[in-house]
Amino acid sequence: MDDIVLRVGGKAGTGLVTATNILTTIALKSGYQIFSSKDYASQIRGGHNYHTIRISKENVDADSNEIDILIAFDQLTLDKHIGSVKEKGIVLINENIKFEETNEINFVKINILEIENKLNQKNLHNAIFSGAAVKILGFQWEICETVINNHFNHKKELLRLFREASLLGYNQAKVFFEYSSQNTDENLSLISGNDAISLGALKAGLTFHVQYPMTPVTGILHYLEKESAKNKKITVIQPEDEIAAINMALGASYSGARAMTATSGGGFALMIESVGLAGMAEVPLVIIEGQRPGPSTGLPTKTEQGDLKFVVNAGTGDFPLAVIAPSTIEECYTETKRAFYFAEKYQLPVIVLVDKHLTESFKSTDLSTEEKEFTFDYNKRINIITKINDTQLNEVGLFKRYDPKETGRTLPGTKDGVYTCAGDEHNAVGQIIEDPEIRIEMVHRRLEKTKLIEKELPLPELIGPEDADLTIVSWGSNFGVISEAINILNKEEKKVNFLNIKYVLPFQKEAIKSLLSKAKKLLLIENNIVGQLGQLIAENTGIVIENKFLKYNGQTFNVNEIYQEAKRWLG
Amino acid sequence: MVELKDFNRQESPNWCPGCGNFGIIVAVKNTLTELNFTPENTVLVSGVGCFAKLPYWVRVNGFVGLHGRSLPVAQGAKLANPNLNVIAFGGDGDGYGEGGNHFLHACRRNVNITYIVHNNSVFGLTTGQYSPTAEKGRKSKSSLLGSTEQPVNPLALAIASGATFVARAYAGNLKETVEIMKKAIQHQGFAFVDVIQPCPSYMPQHDLKYFQEQIVYVKEGLERSSKLKAMELAFKDDKIYCGIIYSGEKE
Repeated sequence: MDDIVLRVGGKAGTGLVTATNILTTIALKSGYQIFSSKDYASQIRGGHNYHTIRISKENVDADSNEIDILIAFDQLTLDKHIGSVKEKGIVLINENIKFEETNEINFVKINILEIENKLNQKNLHNAIFSGAAVKILGFQWEICETVINNHFNHKKELLRLFREASLLGYNQAKVFFEYSSQNTDENLSLISGNDAISLGALKAGLTFHVQYPMTPVTGILHYLEKESAKNKKITVIQPEDEIAAINMALGASYSGARAMTATSGGGFALMIESVGLAGMAEVPLVIIEGQRPGPSTGLPTKTEQGDLKFVVNAGTGDFPLAVIAPSTIEECYTETKRAFYFAEKYQLPVIVLVDKHLTESFKSTDLSTEEKEFTFDYNKRINIITKINDTQLNEVGLFKRYDPKETGRTLPGTKDGVYTCAGDEHNAVGQIIEDPEIRIEMVHRRLEKTKLIEKELPLPELIGPEDADLTIVSWGSNFGVISEAINILNKEEKKVNFLNIKYVLPFQKEAIKSLLSKAKKLLLIENNIVGQLGQLIAENTGIVIENKFLKYNGQTFNVNEIYQEAKRWLG
Repeated sequence: MVELKDFNRQESPNWCPGCGNFGIIVAVKNTLTELNFTPENTVLVSGVGCFAKLPYWVRVNGFVGLHGRSLPVAQGAKLANPNLNVIAFGGDGDGYGEGGNHFLHACRRNVNITYIVHNNSVFGLTTGQYSPTAEKGRKSKSSLLGSTEQPVNPLALAIASGATFVARAYAGNLKETVEIMKKAIQHQGFAFVDVIQPCPSYMPQHDLKYFQEQIVYVKEGLERSSKLKAMELAFKDDKIYCGIIYSGEKE
């Protein structure tokens, strides 16, 4: 089998995360690729959480709802997910769980109580099931042991218990698959979208990160705080609220830091006035917006693409803003770097729009190979002036930072670089003005940036056959499932292709219009109720996509859903 | 050496005649001169309100941001470049109302910046509504029967929140205001100065005579490093007590 899907489910706080980490690391060390997502409730203990782990011989960007192995920590997990287990699939359970034997499913029962009694320790489900799953999959015990040793590196007693419990679980189960070790790619590691964003920011020279915790991007704060503890050049601050977060980032950026903040929709709502300030005062800033289903607190731990129109319209008045929506974990890395580049070069706010599914899912990947996608001289500052000549000064020696011809800025501390960084409408040196002619000049100066950015964006491309009978249009984290579904359809000689829109602002009007107008039939797929990207397309190109497949239950699409829907529209 | 005229710009302030902001801007320029701060190494950060235009009329680096948000900008600027002399400005509406949360946490965070609040107990730029420091019973366009709210006690709030330098100045006394501002800037840590000022346009009852009767400078005899004694002084409301109310070491 090239591809296998495990689901590990149970109550929060019972070791699901540890079991998932152990199993994915074992698969990775045995030479396989991983995509793993988690679905969890907004509670710290109890409830029902589950991780879906896809183990594959090839690169994968999506998880699946068709399960080969269900590891049910409790009765609720069995009841909820038994329907998703494939024919001849395996269910790994504690022998005290109630179930009806069927011929379609193999039940592997483990006597948890017996093992716990033997080791005189409770709550060992995660260790026992990890060991049992390793046996079921056919992985070598030695790799399992190494991974456990590394995982509990500094906790000797816990390590001993976990290892012994795992081995007892391993011994109780039997082999169903033959996932023997194959050649491992040492450069692959398990990376979440949040990790990839953090790594992209660090690569791009981030020196100042300020963030108020909020699901689903709290992982960025944790990642960068760890980095900051190791590297004095990086400052990480947890402020009092999101308004403080963005304003501190602006202050830091103004005085020379490469600065970033991250939040979700609710926190971003608080930041909006300051997004306009960044546009007006021309201060570089990268903002990560990780969507979750709104409005208000909504479904804090689930996923949706409901903030697109909100984010592209963030702010009062017209000012330049760039919004990039990565669609894979690798793109989280690449596009965060691009965001830093645009922010510093054009001195404006750049938003990286992601969602829960992208930020909190894990993938085995090697980001060092992504450098080819986009790179800039990370160590060199862009458009920062350190020497001023007389023509750049006004009568009293103030720097004409906002002069129509000036593309650079000075940092405070630069000799003769003094100006006012102004949120009010201002003249060339940042002096507050109300003069209508200067106002027009300044509006043009700012809006011009949008055009310059558009020229630097890679053009959108169709994935799949050019002469397709159906063109799917989508964005963001749907990329993984859609491209996989299209692969299957194309193999079945059904002509479907896919336009994935990554750069939502500035919107690549002409290129997108030209691609869409050639399509025979269009299908819009989005994770929200109104088809927000569809509205953006209509607003920019006049093309209205009538056929829509929309989901807004807090869950992601799955490959089969997309496959069936595409077939339905193909007729 | 820096001279006072180095801080002049072409434009002159457009505040109302008799506005306390004139006293404060002169005090700021004198303080910067006496401390020999160069325009390029000094950053004045403000928000929105009559007071907030101050950086537009001083020839230094300025950042005029949003209503109530000067403190986070100033802290970010200082943290990213600790060599800069960073002074944030607030107003009683801007700093104690809109940005009240930032004030509390800036005191706790104790970043080495100075925070000067222009306090005239009235909203000027929106034409005369009662502000967070207006006394209970204040009648205004937005409190026709008199305000029912207790005024904010910024000095007590700052001490309670962990600020290590808390002072009050009066815009009508240039010499004392400069002395207080200098000490505030030289303090290692977050230094807060509440500056009492007149607003002849919307608070005419607080005229020169009123301030002459009310303003008292505390100088000798106070153990400035005692939070409890400082608290006592911060709560004394028979007069407006100016001077250094509390000065402690940053932990």
